[in-house]
Amino acid sequence: MTLKIESIFNEKSNRWIVQIIGEMDVLTSKELREELIRIFNEKQENIILDLQGLNYIDSTGLGVIIGAYGRLKEKEKEISIINPKQNILKLLTITGLDKILIKQN
Amino acid sequence: MTDFLKFSIPGKPEYVGVVRLAVSSIANRAGFDIEAIEDIKVAVAEACNNAILHGISDNCCNFEVGCFLENDRLIIEIEDKGHGYNMNEYVAPDLCNPKEGGLGIFIIKTLMDEVEILSNTGEGTMIKMTKYI
Repeated sequence: MTLKIESIFNEKSNRWIVQIIGEMDVLTSKELREELIRIFNEKQENIILDLQGLNYIDSTGLGVIIGAYGRLKEKEKEISIINPKQNILKLLTITGLDKILIKQN
Repeated sequence: MTDFLKFSIPGKPEYVGVVRLAVSSIANRAGFDIEAIEDIKVAVAEACNNAILHGISDNCCNFEVGCFLENDRLIIEIEDKGHGYNMNEYVAPDLCNPKEGGLGIFIIKTLMDEVEILSNTGEGTMIKMTKYI
């Protein structure tokens, strides 16, 4: 299983929507790191990660998202997560990342 | 009665997925429910990451994964002969101020019922984790 990443800039809402499909682990996480750096360099706006198609994440994948969170925060922008599967939501919850990455509304 | 399985895995990121599949299959056979199988899979993968990223240098050698199936529990040992580290220097992550690294051991300890980490600088690391059925 590989990782597939599709980034689209939504002009209406003025933010990036990044769909992450597959498995994000020690082998594939760097692909997301490079993509998030690339799109933010292209346009410094908020980023939404749509995890509907993500089946697995480990600490290296979470680390990539934390790294992006820090880089965006420096520029007063936000990264957030939508549609995590139950197994991924569990990891976000135990690491406390749900509080900073998932919008309550 | 204990059934014992042992795998020797190249210390390269591309083989962690193989371990995840194998351990999921063993946990399923042991009778765990889906959520517990997921916990075991994630915890073992984190221990493999630990061996690859912090234990073995230059992806040069294999590490070993041993699984003990007992009536009421599954014990998994992940052992590398890498550089090892001083466990006294381990600091649990500050969840209010997340950093890119350091979540792996925390995740293992949260998902498994018992975790023991034996590591000595220059001798390698063994992470032993237990989940009760």
